Amino acid sequence: MLVGIPLEQSKSTIKPKECAVEMSDYLVEVAQKRCKKSFARVFNYFAPRLRSYALKQMGNEALAMELVQDTMSNVWQKAHLFNAEKGSPSTWIFTIARNIRFDMLRKLQNRKEDVCSDDLWPVLCEQTADLNEAPLDEQVTLEQIGYLFESLPVKQKAVIEAIYIDGKSQQEVADELDIPLGTVKSRTRLALQRLKGMLQSND
Amino acid sequence: MIRFHPSAQQLVSFVDGNLSPAVSLMVSAHCDMCSTCQRFVEQETERLAGSLLQDNGFKQVDLKADYSAMIAQITQAPSSVEADTGLNQKEISRKPSSKTEVSKAAIHSIELDGRNFVLPRTLQRYIEKTGGWSSLVGKLWQAPVDLGSQGVANFIYMAKGGSVPEHTHRGTEYTLVINGEFSDGINNYDSGDFIFMDGQNTHTPRSDNAQGCLVFTIVDQPLHFTSGIARLLNPFSHLFFR
Repeated sequence: MLVGIPLEQSKSTIKPKECAVEMSDYLVEVAQKRCKKSFARVFNYFAPRLRSYALKQMGNEALAMELVQDTMSNVWQKAHLFNAEKGSPSTWIFTIARNIRFDMLRKLQNRKEDVCSDDLWPVLCEQTADLNEAPLDEQVTLEQIGYLFESLPVKQKAVIEAIYIDGKSQQEVADELDIPLGTVKSRTRLALQRLKGMLQSND
Repeated sequence: MIRFHPSAQQLVSFVDGNLSPAVSLMVSAHCDMCSTCQRFVEQETERLAGSLLQDNGFKQVDLKADYSAMIAQITQAPSSVEADTGLNQKEISRKPSSKTEVSKAAIHSIELDGRNFVLPRTLQRYIEKTGGWSSLVGKLWQAPVDLGSQGVANFIYMAKGGSVPEHTHRGTEYTLVINGEFSDGINNYDSGDFIFMDGQNTHTPRSDNAQGCLVFTIVDQPLHFTSGIARLLNPFSHLFFR
């Protein structure tokens, strides 16, 4: 049961535009006077709608309520960032909810702090994201590969060159060098293993 | 002029928050550069918000949830302005949040060989996560960007005459042209163009622009090189584009 501030039934029949103006005024009251009554009006209008949106998107009551609570907390704490000239209250609140959902989904997938909603949609941009620097792995370059390739034993090099650079099949190489196909295969395998070993010890 | 854009479907999914983080990043950076897509995204956001939250036929069903407790809990918290002020009173000499903001705002370009490239807003945060430039082959430079679990993205700079060896894709490749022009034997691309490639496309990107070309690219699987000495990279391309 909804206790506290009663819902005004007439709200549901007014036109969207009037509603936007009304909600917009309440948000200003919240921002300037920290008016709890105005917040309750905004809450009563948006929370059930947000819950319905969240239920459809997350398919889970607990997550849906978490989304409602987080979104409305942001509305309360950051009402001063709402700018009626930039868009309607519903657009602002939708973008906050969308951002929170985006980050919630990433967390559910156990993803580390990487791409976060603030980067994509800076709706509440007074926040500063923490910038943690991760060490970057060394890159293997074509030049390094070329260098390592040069250090292969002559017989392996010939096979690798014919297959990977000239694009010949293993059978063609066998015919050309007049060696058994099995030998071509084993030389290729050994050469690749060797290159791989060298690349890894390079790391 | 920008000729290549994300599809309308991609833009709609982006607004809805349903694209993967990596692809969202590409779309968002493109929108920073493309006023057409930016407008589309704004309109779509309004439309979606309207349909989701303004629905006036909405009926107040199932109010089991105790909203009044939630309201009470929420309104206990101070506004973020008050929270900031509280912090400043404790540490009057230091304003950590605004300080970070300033130093962050100062970095909006990356540098290569004395040239500065201003990045789209979305990519500016990743400057700190960008590694040093390394040479791939002559006239081609690469700087990796750590996207955490989303894999690795790269800035690739093609100097005039520089070319990426012919390759196809095992997964998908998204490219955004940051500055300059290049062609790949299929099309010519200019700053702001958004390019999507997958296993059906084989191409050889090459820049003949006097100023060269800087692109930002994300691949979810290693490239598969199709000709020349670059074929040697294939067994190791998981190391190369990791």
